[in-house]
Amino acid sequence: MSTTVSPMLVRLAAQRATGALLRDAGALYLVDGEVVHAESPAAPGIDILLAKGGRLPTERWQEAVDRAGAHHRVGRFLVDSGRLASGELEICHLGALFDAAFFALAPGGGPTRFRRGAAHWLGPVKPVRAEAVERETRRRRELLDNLWPRPEVDSAPVTPRTAAGTADITSRQRAVLDLADGVRTPAGIARLLGRPGFHTLIDIRRLAAAGHIETPRASAPPAPAPVPAWVADVSADPDIALLRRLRDALEASL
Amino acid sequence: MPGIDECLLEAMVLPGARGAAVVEWTSGLALGTVGDSPNGDHEVTAAETAELARMAAEHTAFAPPETNGPTGPTQQGDAGKGIPVEDVIITTRTGYHLLRFVETTFDSSVFVHLWLDREEGNLALARIRLQDLAERLALI
Repeated sequence: MSTTVSPMLVRLAAQRATGALLRDAGALYLVDGEVVHAESPAAPGIDILLAKGGRLPTERWQEAVDRAGAHHRVGRFLVDSGRLASGELEICHLGALFDAAFFALAPGGGPTRFRRGAAHWLGPVKPVRAEAVERETRRRRELLDNLWPRPEVDSAPVTPRTAAGTADITSRQRAVLDLADGVRTPAGIARLLGRPGFHTLIDIRRLAAAGHIETPRASAPPAPAPVPAWVADVSADPDIALLRRLRDALEASL
Repeated sequence: MPGIDECLLEAMVLPGARGAAVVEWTSGLALGTVGDSPNGDHEVTAAETAELARMAAEHTAFAPPETNGPTGPTQQGDAGKGIPVEDVIITTRTGYHLLRFVETTFDSSVFVHLWLDREEGNLALARIRLQDLAERLALI
């Protein structure tokens, strides 16, 4: 059974539409119905991914955007000017695209709008079929749920638990844990590490499943409704008061 | 400096090559595929080979913590180039599977998977060629 992640995305792909699909959690850019880019606040952009590893300093990005941004050809410019290998650009771009799409298409992400004709400054690098984005987003949701079915950890501040042993922690997880301070969220940690947001969530869910970080309570259960005054009064002297009321009630109904 | 598709097409020129893919091992995402897939579904194959690659890349038997250098904030963001594992080889009755890690200067976690016919394939040649391809994929 495959439920559609975004009915509007499917419809726009069928229409071979060009423009930006906008949601609260991010945006997908389409050209002729194919996805050419995606952005989300929860997913570090391709500029952050490349700058963090020291591959492409921020100034180089700025230069590329200044020279080619207006023509929506920044990706092409970076390769043509010898700043990036096309393989590098494709790997980083596709990773960032599927990452941002996963967050942008998250359930409950608010209403979906479409701005026809809108284009991203990066320009097409390696367009992806909309069905592939749909399928991958669905697969990623299942993958996370299989690791630790508690989506609360995805957005909550990451709090390490010191009691657990650390023998089973991988070096990638160690890097995530080192930045966990009870304040930073998984998205904040991903940005600092220069790693895709979803990859960080995989480590977060594994760390939570192994007990290395706290799993927040699902959502605080609603506070019980305040009891009526007579019940509260009764509790002060339960036996006598309750029995008297019971007797009175019984007598009244006779 | 080939792109993903050119790299895959070059891999398919190797004798006995039946299928190839570029896969992200952290997520199991296939970034590109060509030829056949052993189970008829490139995406399933990518997810399965990614799991194997992850084991090799992350388990301390193959990647002891010392070889990753000192841990801590100074090492942030370069986990992609810190993997000491170069490739993983699986031999089946009918074929070879070669997983070659791609080193990049950013955090990428990508490998090339090549599926070779056991009779026609030349594992030693494929290993050398795939190393060269993986290097050119990420270099100018």
